[in-house]
Amino acid sequence: MWRNTQTELVKIFAKPRSYIGFVAIAIIVSLIHVAMYVDGLNYISFITGPLESAFNIEGKILNGNLVCFIILQTLIIQIPLLVALVTGDLISGEAAMGTIRLLLTRPLSRTSVLFSKFFAGAVYVFILLVWLGLVSLGIGLLIFGPGDLIVLKSETITIIPAEDTLWRFFAGLGIAFISLLVVASFSLLLSCYSENSIGPIISTMAVIILFTIVGSMDIPLFEKIKPFLFTTHMVIWRNMFDQELDYNLICNSMLMLVGHIILFLFVAWYSFRKKDILS
Amino acid sequence: MKRGSLLFLFMWMVLWAQGQSSPEALKLLKGVTEKFNKVRDYQVDALIDARISFLKILPQKAKVFYKSPSKFHVESKGIAILPKQNFDQLFTLLNNENNFMAFVSGAENLNGIATTVVNVIPMSDTSDLVLAKLWVDVAQGLIVKSQLTTKANGTVLIEYFYGTWKTLALPDKTIFTVDVKRFKIPKAISADINSKATQEDKNKPQKPGRIIISFSNYKINKGIDDKVFAK
Repeated sequence: MWRNTQTELVKIFAKPRSYIGFVAIAIIVSLIHVAMYVDGLNYISFITGPLESAFNIEGKILNGNLVCFIILQTLIIQIPLLVALVTGDLISGEAAMGTIRLLLTRPLSRTSVLFSKFFAGAVYVFILLVWLGLVSLGIGLLIFGPGDLIVLKSETITIIPAEDTLWRFFAGLGIAFISLLVVASFSLLLSCYSENSIGPIISTMAVIILFTIVGSMDIPLFEKIKPFLFTTHMVIWRNMFDQELDYNLICNSMLMLVGHIILFLFVAWYSFRKKDILS
Repeated sequence: MKRGSLLFLFMWMVLWAQGQSSPEALKLLKGVTEKFNKVRDYQVDALIDARISFLKILPQKAKVFYKSPSKFHVESKGIAILPKQNFDQLFTLLNNENNFMAFVSGAENLNGIATTVVNVIPMSDTSDLVLAKLWVDVAQGLIVKSQLTTKANGTVLIEYFYGTWKTLALPDKTIFTVDVKRFKIPKAISADINSKATQEDKNKPQKPGRIIISFSNYKINKGIDDKVFAK
């Protein structure tokens, strides 16, 4: 399985589209860093405005931790697209090129092929997140320095001491990794039903956008659906930046995410085992 | 409330017509300011504990610097939330009798301390402060509570607790109580799609914010470089 996963990784990194994610992250993060460096205090005043109308705020508000948090918050919509670009192509790409027949004539079970592709996709997601953490937090801290983190929620503002932020970023990125594995497994599932790469990639993004819109609207009907949407649980990484962590909520969301991964992989496995590769 | 405002307006007009403060009020305030005027400068460690409903922040350590007559600077390693009013602002006003009018409006017992209530009205039209109501401990010659009505920031209630440096009118602890508006921004901007504010939450009256500042390790009249205040 590991050998096959290595082969799949080689295939992933041999495709130019696999680097789009890294380049896109580097460009977006650099742009945000430059913008924050030039005019960050103005931007931050939008966050601190309601507070500053009643109080004075002392201390270094614009710092590497805040900039990294803003970047992560901004990229949460884009990263699944970057992941789907690669994982949505894992099976359908082979089908489109006609290599799937060759692949499945090798003495490897279809289960092994499918899971090797998923694990390779997972490694890709991990590397992408390490890259994101490195450029956003690492370079952010180098440019802006450390400082207390202001976290803006719709009805509260949380201020986390600088020395308490690093482990939260790691934990947040860890949760983001599980969240993106849901996207990877979902796009892999769609990929099993498609003969071209565009369909699974676009469909994955369409579903994420639809679920996000449903999740952000305070309509009673949607309230009942929300707990079952994986996008509701994908943003749970932000809860790592609460003053007091709600472990129950975080664990429940993690279980929901893992449940989604298992469900999507199971359906993908079931369909891939029966996939007609002769037509 | 309306009757109170009219009475206040009437008293203000009477005082304005007379063009002078009540001697009793001035005597009390002079006793208070004389203590603080012995302080040329000070630096003190402060622990700032902001208790505001929409703000979640741990108590923050800071250093406070003051240099007479009105230089004030707060230095904190992290982010600290402070009231708009500086500690020395009131004394700066009270130092010059031509800057305000004052009159005694009654007596009150505050937690066992006999106080005289003095109302202070700044003479300047441009001053942010509209009215200061001061509870003065007559026996000690200290302000133990003040209610500042400002143009920009509404009403602020300040309670003072004295210890080691009461001879210089420097408190060990002050509690600021400030009216705060409900904090609300769109979910799309905060990317906080999972937050749920119930109608019950929305209808709850907003509690006033409190900032408790504890002071320790005063260094008084040791000299402070002006560069500190330029930061």
